[in-house]
Amino acid sequence: MVERSNPTRPIHHGPPPDRARAEALVSVNALSIGYEGTLVLRDATFRVSRGEFIGVVGPSGSGKTSLLRAILGQIDRFAGDVTLHRAADDRAPRIGYVPQVETVDWNFPITVEQVVLQGRWREMGWRPWARVHDKKLVAQVLDRLGIGDLRTRSIRALSGGQQQRTFLARALIGDPDLLLLDEPTSGVDIKTRHEIIHLLGELNRSGTSIMLTTHDLNAVATHLPRLIALGEGQIISDGAPEKVLTPETLRQVYGAEMLVLRTGHRVYVVDHPDDDLESLGPLFGDEEAAPSPDSDSPSIESVSLRDGP
Amino acid sequence: MFEPFDFEFMVRAMVASSIVGALTAAVGVFVVLRRLSYIGHGLAHSIFGGAVVSFVAGINFYVGATVWGAVSVFLINGASKRRQISGDAAVGIITTSAFAVGVLLISRGGRFTRNFEAALFGEILGISNTDLAITAAVLLLVFVTLFVFWKQLVFTTFDHDVASAYGVPVRTVEGVFSLLLAATVIASLQVLGVTLLAAALVIPPVTARLLTDSFSRMFVIALAVGTLTGFFGAYLSWFVDSSSGATIVLLQAAVFVVALSYATARSRLLRRGARQTERIAGLERAVY
Repeated sequence: MVERSNPTRPIHHGPPPDRARAEALVSVNALSIGYEGTLVLRDATFRVSRGEFIGVVGPSGSGKTSLLRAILGQIDRFAGDVTLHRAADDRAPRIGYVPQVETVDWNFPITVEQVVLQGRWREMGWRPWARVHDKKLVAQVLDRLGIGDLRTRSIRALSGGQQQRTFLARALIGDPDLLLLDEPTSGVDIKTRHEIIHLLGELNRSGTSIMLTTHDLNAVATHLPRLIALGEGQIISDGAPEKVLTPETLRQVYGAEMLVLRTGHRVYVVDHPDDDLESLGPLFGDEEAAPSPDSDSPSIESVSLRDGP
Repeated sequence: MFEPFDFEFMVRAMVASSIVGALTAAVGVFVVLRRLSYIGHGLAHSIFGGAVVSFVAGINFYVGATVWGAVSVFLINGASKRRQISGDAAVGIITTSAFAVGVLLISRGGRFTRNFEAALFGEILGISNTDLAITAAVLLLVFVTLFVFWKQLVFTTFDHDVASAYGVPVRTVEGVFSLLLAATVIASLQVLGVTLLAAALVIPPVTARLLTDSFSRMFVIALAVGTLTGFFGAYLSWFVDSSSGATIVLLQAAVFVVALSYATARSRLLRRGARQTERIAGLERAVY
């Protein structure tokens, strides 16, 4: 029932990398960042290992985008440091960035191919135009993302999913070790969200480390192997969804009461428990009492979910 | 028909107008897409102040205007970096003050009314060979710089923050662009004048934008519109006996109206075509 009401299938990952032993890609140490003297996030410490898939959650203004920008070196750093670890072959890690689609000027006269080529501006050398080799690479990455036929299309004429794939292609053409995505599922329909999350899952399985920000706790965050929750200008919790998505943490992060339902490895967050519990009532078996909204004890985990009709 | 070509000053005027048309259109593409149309307008006014100061101080116009223009650009950049001052407010304060310096000097002196009018509306017939050479040199400089910085300029114009995240040296690119804009304004002032320059920066790119969704094609179309209207504007002004700057801008406005009508008609036809396709598809669904 829960699975059916939420069409996003979980991403199947291998076992999460043992972070203590896995090769480090980015280390963030006691980092405080902000804009023009205003502190946005303080004392953040965490590590991103190769092969990880991390979701950053938190309310608007909690510093999710700023954290991504800190890794990109695009924000004022007041204290602490960000280290990008070199690979065994001493190559500096490559980072791909996909901005929020809301920030893109969709009326800009530019085609899908021209956008993707921006990801290779350095490799293209002094020429303003693309060589055959560059165009071949663009075609390859677009084919890989299933939008090979949209190469000459203006970005204005793309659907939400195609737009997201275009900007993903720009990031992927640089063959990044770490992919940073800012709200990749905001403003897209359920089907597109589903496609994007699975596409990212595939990329992650093929070896790309991914870090994304999201507001979508149930459809995105609960499917990721690791979450970093930001609130009150700091990291509140960091770990697997089962550890991070608890009523105590969510209260601290969002400043609101939330109910957490667990079934097996699935976690489901109800963000308006007072309003929603009644509507969730039919989910629960007749013999089971619906959990009370203020209940934040692990007893909720014992609630069994009845199969849908 | 070929009468204007018999006069050396008219040939100079037509060449200068073509160059200025190309120059303003090329830089204007970036100005329009960066939503900086107001900066072009402001900078022209600011440089007018510099022109008057140069005249009074007996300094070469190009030297004085360049220094004045560069100082204005850096002051605007500096002021708009403060959170409390938005970019358009910074442009308003600095360029209008710089313009006011020119007006003040003129109102006190009162002896250069003719130069005042020339600076405001352009004085193409007074263009010397040196002016022509300088305008051509600026054109060359602008095109070489655009060639070298093309990818970086397009990327920062499209998305400044993301370009920076991809390693584009955005500050350098912004600085280079500001200087190109200032050089374009200075080189075009004599042909178009302060009041008409902003139009020449904006109309050809906007016209081109109506006709294409590709950046490179927009650039080429804007360049063609700017160059041809520059040439024919000067040419027609001989027969109409009108101000060349005004003739150029009105010609550009006429081309814009034609492009707008074409774009409107095309999108209506496309919409009608789409509706018909949908209707046929609906009929097919009903039949089968």
